[in-house]
Amino acid sequence: MAQIRVERLRKTFGALVALDDVSFSFADSQVTCLLGPSGCGKTTLMRIIAGLEQPTAGEVYFGDRRVTHLPPRKREIGMVFQYPVVYKGIDVYRNIELPLLSEKIDARERRRRVDEVIELLGLGPSAKLDVSRLDNGTRQKVAVAREVARQPQIILFDEPITNVDAAAKLQLKRAFKELTRRLSQTIVYVTHDQTEAMTLADQIALMRDGQIVQCDAPRTLYNQPVDRFGGWFLGNPGMLFVDVDLRATDAGPVVASPIFAHLVPISGLASATPPRVTVGIRPEHVRVAATPSPTAVPASVVRTSIQIGGQYLITLRIDGLQDQSIKAKVEPAAGAALVPGEPVWVEFPLDRISLFDPAGHRLDATFAALSSPTDQPTALGAHR
Amino acid sequence: MVVVAAEPAIKSSQAPISGTALAFEGIGKRYGTKTVLEDVVLPVAEGSLTVLYGPPASGKSVLMRILMGLEEPTSGRVTLRGQDVTHRTAGDRNIGYIPQSFALYPHFSVHDNIAYPLKLAHVPDREIAPIVQHAAEMLHIPDLLAKRPDQLSGGQKQRVAIARGLAKQSDIYVFDDPLAGLDFKLREQLVEDLRDLQREWRAAFLYTTSDAIEALTLADHLAVLAGGSIIEAGPPERLYADPQQRRTMALVGFPPANFLAGRLIHRNYALWCETALFSFKTTITPTDPAAAAPAVVVGLRPESLAIGDAATALPTGNSDPLIRFDARIVLREDLGGEEIIYLQSAGVGLIALDRRHGQEGLDTLVPVAVSARALFVFAEPSGRQIGRGATAPPTSHPLNGRGNE
Repeated sequence: MAQIRVERLRKTFGALVALDDVSFSFADSQVTCLLGPSGCGKTTLMRIIAGLEQPTAGEVYFGDRRVTHLPPRKREIGMVFQYPVVYKGIDVYRNIELPLLSEKIDARERRRRVDEVIELLGLGPSAKLDVSRLDNGTRQKVAVAREVARQPQIILFDEPITNVDAAAKLQLKRAFKELTRRLSQTIVYVTHDQTEAMTLADQIALMRDGQIVQCDAPRTLYNQPVDRFGGWFLGNPGMLFVDVDLRATDAGPVVASPIFAHLVPISGLASATPPRVTVGIRPEHVRVAATPSPTAVPASVVRTSIQIGGQYLITLRIDGLQDQSIKAKVEPAAGAALVPGEPVWVEFPLDRISLFDPAGHRLDATFAALSSPTDQPTALGAHR
Repeated sequence: MVVVAAEPAIKSSQAPISGTALAFEGIGKRYGTKTVLEDVVLPVAEGSLTVLYGPPASGKSVLMRILMGLEEPTSGRVTLRGQDVTHRTAGDRNIGYIPQSFALYPHFSVHDNIAYPLKLAHVPDREIAPIVQHAAEMLHIPDLLAKRPDQLSGGQKQRVAIARGLAKQSDIYVFDDPLAGLDFKLREQLVEDLRDLQREWRAAFLYTTSDAIEALTLADHLAVLAGGSIIEAGPPERLYADPQQRRTMALVGFPPANFLAGRLIHRNYALWCETALFSFKTTITPTDPAAAAPAVVVGLRPESLAIGDAATALPTGNSDPLIRFDARIVLREDLGGEEIIYLQSAGVGLIALDRRHGQEGLDTLVPVAVSARALFVFAEPSGRQIGRGATAPPTSHPLNGRGNE
């Protein structure tokens, strides 16, 4: 049982609160990425799990075993750091074999394990090379291989591909996917890079200000952030937010905003909901058209620029929406056809919208589109 | 001039600004026998944002230092509004400068850090405070003015450094890769703020970066520096959609474009191009001098590759011939709004960009389709674009439609 559990974990450095009463269980045999901006506490949390740092308060459990005060070497875990730890002066094979020798694993089993990880990480061609002759990316593969070959129940990765070149990053990501598909260790992976987390994680624990804001499968976190922060932090650019007024009517509350062509009925809100809430939508879900439609509002193009994969980021001004511009990310051909200064029509599809309260927390609510032909309510952010 | 008194007038003026604010005219720079810059020609228009984009160590910083008067060129001249300033001192040039590696004075407040260059320039004290306040507001840091640098985050420090450069009263500002090394999210916000700032001031900004998306996002005019020379310049949309040089296509865009080695062959009175993956008819005519050397490189953008059901759904029509093949998925990188898919086919690695969020797992064989019109043909070794894929049905190449490996 290798589940990692932390309870009311707190860590302060002087006046700075690095971890603020974090209670969390890392799923067994899964990859959990700790993701967040610098200073969010992700590295501190990992270092406490590793035993490299002592918490100010709280406990760490591996399964039923309390390990809070055990030194790192007694925790039986593997660790891969930002800078590869390798033994210079010996070849790749011996680098991987060395910890197995000290653990007195017999020769046949040693050979089997080393050969397996060498194959898994594509280290075959460099197996007989001295590590001093390897580039940083290959050294990091050696460091990963050595930890995996030891077969600990838990492996911790601290930004392992941040300092390698683009080609090695790709190889390491591929090797990591291969590795986690074939093995069943519990893995905690720290990164500040959202793409890395979205690509490698079974679930992402998103951190901010010493707390875990949300833990979910990558696509769920992306599509249904429980907090404005998650919407903003993930995505490129992140979610955009527009404050809208809630108006009480006989038929219940409606949203009134220049971003909608109609008053939009809304249900499922708690009675204490404030009169102003925030609409969140991802730029790639905002629809931009050159011709009017009943659900779109008029806008003008401020500027356009080419983004990832030739997509266009369109900065728009919506008539009646003061002091705020709107961003839409559209396909290459659609973007190339838009000219700054020209009128366009913009739609915020209701099923792509998340609603947040003034504190930034997600509201559970349902839109009923007035013009919807089926008159069926539309669940907010139903897309996964 | 822009920051205080003249600012409202500038903001309200919507008349187009014309002319050249500054220009590099044939700049060369050698260190001993090593040539760092060669015949760099680059005009920066008044009121525009020009981005000098190039890979690390392509000579961008040296060029900026020459502009600032911190270094002398070996040949060529620098002009400001038509005046030769090549041999003038740095202090004589009046350019706002935001260097790549910045240092704040640790014992000064943020306010005094921003004010320091103004004091050096003997700006009267009573004028300094409003200038600092305005620059701080531009960078959204007025509430930090009383703090000391050690109380700031990395992104806040960078904003202070930029504010210090902008506080200089000029209408020409030079940014030497100011966001390098910052978190992706901070960069996203600062790029946006700088873009707004330039629009509001309508000053001439010259901005260097080695980040393709940053360059594309900011530039009115984009100049690509590679190997010490400007290989291509123009509006970013043009450079992206119709690169005249192979290296321009390789550098301008993310994820990077795919390149395949190819050979030109005569077939049925037309020039065809054959690669390891497919062949296609080109727009190059057999009499074109460009066809003299058969070795070429074929470039295609990641978004030109349709994969999975998106490829299957594309109709094969005579007006826009599709090339089809199968490829194995090596890795899918999820960027949130889109995925980068790494493919392998017949020993060739390809990068595709996919907005579908499909379900195909690693090592799955997927159908791939690309329009011949999305293929660029570059001559070897010059790297000059000599044609595109032509609008005629492709042949069935021995490898077409067959699996890989």
